[in-house]
Amino acid sequence: MKFEEIIAKSIKSFFAGNIPQKTAEANNDELFYTPDYFDELEERLLDKKKETDDAAEEV
Amino acid sequence: MPQKKFDGPIPGANFTSDTRNYPWHRPPELHNYDAVVDYYMEKINEEETQDLVLSLLEMKIPLTAVVSMMLKQGIGKGKLGIDMAILTAGPIARYLSIIADEQNIKYRTGIEKRKIKVTPALLRAALGQIEKANQSDEEKTSEDMTEETMGLMQRPGPTDIPAAPAEEQAQMLGEEPKDELA
Repeated sequence: MKFEEIIAKSIKSFFAGNIPQKTAEANNDELFYTPDYFDELEERLLDKKKETDDAAEEV
Repeated sequence: MPQKKFDGPIPGANFTSDTRNYPWHRPPELHNYDAVVDYYMEKINEEETQDLVLSLLEMKIPLTAVVSMMLKQGIGKGKLGIDMAILTAGPIARYLSIIADEQNIKYRTGIEKRKIKVTPALLRAALGQIEKANQSDEEKTSEDMTEETMGLMQRPGPTDIPAAPAEEQAQMLGEEPKDELA
C-alpha cells in the first residue's frame, strides 16, 4: 500500500468520527483535536462568517 | 612491497559515524499527536501556505493528496515520523476542509465514492470477454502478417529452392559424368 493510500484511509476514518484509540490511551484519554472539536470549530467559524456576510449586506 | 593490511576501515566504524547527517536520521521533533496537529494548523494559518494550499484545492487536487504532500514535507524535514503523519492526517484534512468551506472553495476530498457508469465495454471487461476478443484479433493480425510477407523480399523457405539436377550435383561433388555410350 502506498503512503497516499494510507493517508486517504486515515482521513476517511477520521471523517467517519474515529480517533486513534491507542494514542488516546497513551495520552490518558486526553486528545484535544477530536472530530467533535472540529465540528464545533466549523460551526463557530461558519457562524462568524455568516454574521460578517450579513453585516456587509446591511452596509 | 609490504601490504597495508590495517589501512582499511575498522569493523563497526559505521556505527560510530555521525548519524545526524539527514533530518530523518534524528528522532522527530514533534512526537505528540496534539502538538503535530497544532503545528500544522499554525502552518495552514500562515498566509503564504494558506494561499498555496487553497489554490491547490481550487485546482481540484484532492484534499488527501494535499495533506499527503504536506506530511511528506514534514517527514523530510524531520518534524514528525511516518506513524505520526498517518495518525494526524485526519485532523489536518478536517481543518483544511473547514478553511476551504469558509473561503467558499469547492474541493474534492479524494475519499468520496466514485459512481461507475455501466457500459457494454465495462461489462465485457468484467466478464473477461475483452481478452477473448483481443486474442482473436491478435490471431488475425498474425495471419495477416504472414500473408503480407509473401513477397519478393521474403526469405526463401526450404521448399522454394529447386534442387539442382543430378549432373550438376555430380559435378559439384567432383564426380565425372558417366558416359552413357561407353
